[in-house]
Amino acid sequence: MIRINLTSVPVEDQEKALDFYTRVLGFLKKRDVPLGEHKWLTVVSPEEQSGVELLLEPMAFEPARLYQQSLKEAGIPWTSFAVDDIEKEYQRLSSLGVKFSIAPREAGPVMIAVLDDTCGNYIQLMQEL
Amino acid sequence: MRPLLQALYDTVRLTCLIAVDVHMSKKPKTYFENELDRIYREIPFRPEQYVQVRQSKAFMEEFYSDRVELNDLAKAAFMSRFHYVRIFQRMYGLTPRVYLRDLRISKAKGLIRKGLSITQVCFEIGYESVPTFSAVFKKCTGYTPRAYQQLHKSNLE
Repeated sequence: MIRINLTSVPVEDQEKALDFYTRVLGFLKKRDVPLGEHKWLTVVSPEEQSGVELLLEPMAFEPARLYQQSLKEAGIPWTSFAVDDIEKEYQRLSSLGVKFSIAPREAGPVMIAVLDDTCGNYIQLMQEL
Repeated sequence: MRPLLQALYDTVRLTCLIAVDVHMSKKPKTYFENELDRIYREIPFRPEQYVQVRQSKAFMEEFYSDRVELNDLAKAAFMSRFHYVRIFQRMYGLTPRVYLRDLRISKAKGLIRKGLSITQVCFEIGYESVPTFSAVFKKCTGYTPRAYQQLHKSNLE
């Protein structure tokens, strides 16, 4: 049976990304496997430590860099994470210095906010209403 | 002095918040923001329909551990059963039944992590049979409740 257990976000600097995704966003490091000049580096939600892993993928392929930059310029988030209380997360992350391109706003049946992960991407937070 | 300092702090904080708000509203909108505005302008739901359906979700949040019938949910949303299911599905992409199932399994995971027995969790979240609960849990998470329980014990950070 084929399962979905991994997603990824491309990052300029894996160590910087690990710091942001753990210390700031609150994920936990799951795997750290040396692979040549880079690593297979994943994080998980503390509430789902055996759940889906997020791969902090090194930006090592130039055509992919163009795609990432184009998304960023258009304000399009690379991916979206779920939160229970978006206002609370917005306040918490803002106080940690995180920059938001979109403050919490309603978008139909959800509220969204979009932050800069400092590693080349916008990331969306979403709270279902 | 304290009330004066507090008042001064509040004024500075409010001024900064207003400045951020003005700055953000003066920035030209990105392609993404324009698309968001366009898409959500075109969605055919009235604001009161969102409120009504959210009421049914609040009902599920409160009464998930009891027997919940579709009639109860439609009543909580002040809609007919037909309209309720149709609108819920168009709004959230899931039927109310699937949403309630996922809600119950999410609660179950939390309760297992808290240390309740599988049987306790089963009845706590509104199932009446442990084998049925276990089968649904496995279908939703990929783990039996017991395997999830063992996994959590060994994963504690």
